[in-house]
Amino acid sequence: MIFGLSVAVVVAAVASLAFGAVRVPFGDVVEALSGGEVPDAAWKIVVDLRLPRSVEAIVVGAALGVAGALLQGALSNPLASPDIVGVTGGAGFGAVLILLVVPSQVALLPLGALFFGLLAALLVFAVAWSGAGRGSVGKLILAGIAIGALFGAGTTAILTAYPDRVPSVLFFIAGGLTSDGWHDLGAVWPYFAAGFVCAVCLTRPLDRLALGDEVAASLGTKPRTIRLLAGVAAALLAAAAASLAGLLAFLGLIVPHFVRMAAGTATNTFVVPASALAGAALLLAGDTLARVVAAPVELPVGPFMVLLGVPYFLYLLRGAV
Amino acid sequence: MEAAASETATAQPALSARGVTVAMGGQTIVHEADLTLAHGRLLAVVGPNGAGKSTLVRAVSGIQRSSAGGIFWNGARLSSLKGRELALMRAFVPQRALVPGGVTVRDAVTIGRSVHIRPWQRPGSGDRLAIETAIDRTGVAALADRQLTTLSGGELQRVQIAVALAQDAPVLIADEPTSQLDLGATVAVAKLLRGLADDGFAVLVVVHDLSLAAAVADEVVVMSDGRTVACGTPPATLTRDLLSEVWGVQASLEVTDDERTALSVAWLDGEDRPVRAARDQEIDNDRNAYSVPGWEV
Repeated sequence: MIFGLSVAVVVAAVASLAFGAVRVPFGDVVEALSGGEVPDAAWKIVVDLRLPRSVEAIVVGAALGVAGALLQGALSNPLASPDIVGVTGGAGFGAVLILLVVPSQVALLPLGALFFGLLAALLVFAVAWSGAGRGSVGKLILAGIAIGALFGAGTTAILTAYPDRVPSVLFFIAGGLTSDGWHDLGAVWPYFAAGFVCAVCLTRPLDRLALGDEVAASLGTKPRTIRLLAGVAAALLAAAAASLAGLLAFLGLIVPHFVRMAAGTATNTFVVPASALAGAALLLAGDTLARVVAAPVELPVGPFMVLLGVPYFLYLLRGAV
Repeated sequence: MEAAASETATAQPALSARGVTVAMGGQTIVHEADLTLAHGRLLAVVGPNGAGKSTLVRAVSGIQRSSAGGIFWNGARLSSLKGRELALMRAFVPQRALVPGGVTVRDAVTIGRSVHIRPWQRPGSGDRLAIETAIDRTGVAALADRQLTTLSGGELQRVQIAVALAQDAPVLIADEPTSQLDLGATVAVAKLLRGLADDGFAVLVVVHDLSLAAAVADEVVVMSDGRTVACGTPPATLTRDLLSEVWGVQASLEVTDDERTALSVAWLDGEDRPVRAARDQEIDNDRNAYSVPGWEV
């Protein structure tokens, strides 16, 4: 399964480099990547325009898949997604704030989304980790919903105040990648890196947590600490993902389920890496479709990813236990 | 498991707790409770509902924070032990564990073994042997590839013990391992726990059923209102007076020569109602002989 998903990522990556408004032959794609001789135009399209975008798709897709897997594992809740720690609401607010209130500073969009995404998560954790019963699953979920609603209301207020500028945020809200080179990824990669490193360290503790807090404690793991770390890692990944690709949190919700149902196992040592690969493959494929369908117009990737993922997801769901 | 047996000889108790006090939400649940557990012994904590039995064993296991008192594992203070060090000394079987979907019995037991497996590594041959040994010992080998969600309560309880055995700690602590089980499953778990103690494990169990405690335990600790009020061998400790004082029930423990135990209880304060009930039952049976068949279809 891991091998199959790895192959899927490679195939989707090559396709995303070859297809688009201009079709580049597969041979030229492979030549360009291996540093061989290719026409200037093909080089420019594949290496300067599409490669950064494909890498972004891989990183963002993997980040959202892992964020969802971490949260679903840590909270023992199948409905957990990056929405639940407030990241989506916060990042949306940050993006709308920059795009509508200070449109001249559009270059700050990724950092604005990242900052407010993490701020929302911080507020959620601060509330959920205080008072009696701190760190409980119910408290975290309720705090996430409440803080998310707060930022959602802020977003709506700004949209209402600047109705003429609303179309400029649609792309962000629907979720989509852009061909802007390496700049944005260069600015937010440390957040991805920190999130992925945390995730790798958390897989075994999360497996222990799956058998209940007491079994985890029996095995020398502190359940609350693991839940907090998983929440922080997921918030970093989801906020960084939103800063590059807008609001695609849906991917974080379905990808881990997709992996569990397809493989029939739910151990996190499998689900976390498999979700990374499946998320990357799905976002790559969705982004390629979004560029090809109405070329040369680029559509937001969110709806396409949903179109690709949901039918198969529903098919698996019908047969699931 | 040989390691556990060899430690039987050492004089130091596996666990020693003095004056343990636990407060939760402004209420003191356990008051200055004492407990000593030696290797190769089975110690049962008994007492009425709400006496603080589970809280006490959770506190000495390091799963629940205690507010005062000294808890020592092999002579080392509990608060000075790291999570992994403690995990190598004792395994805790909760009253109710989560039953996640998509996890097989062998997956679960492998998770129990994870203390011994280094990060980023797969289970080695020693680990796989320990996992299979734990599965065999608890009699769940036939279920090894089944999903946890498909098991019965008795099967799940044995799997929980297998998870704890894979941890390979010389002390096993179980919180009411039989409270949800039928008679046959209870006997299976009781035999398993007694066998582990005979093999050198120190076993600490919270039990409701006094006749069961008397049958399997070397010693019982009686808790009442958060305090440990008595301690000793079951027949000497669970006297008529104590049962009356702690549970408020007229009852006596009977132990026969062939090690059968029974609790003789005056369920209805010794009035003659049971006799009347039996007589009424006969009348009911006569009535049912005519009225039941219609319901069967």
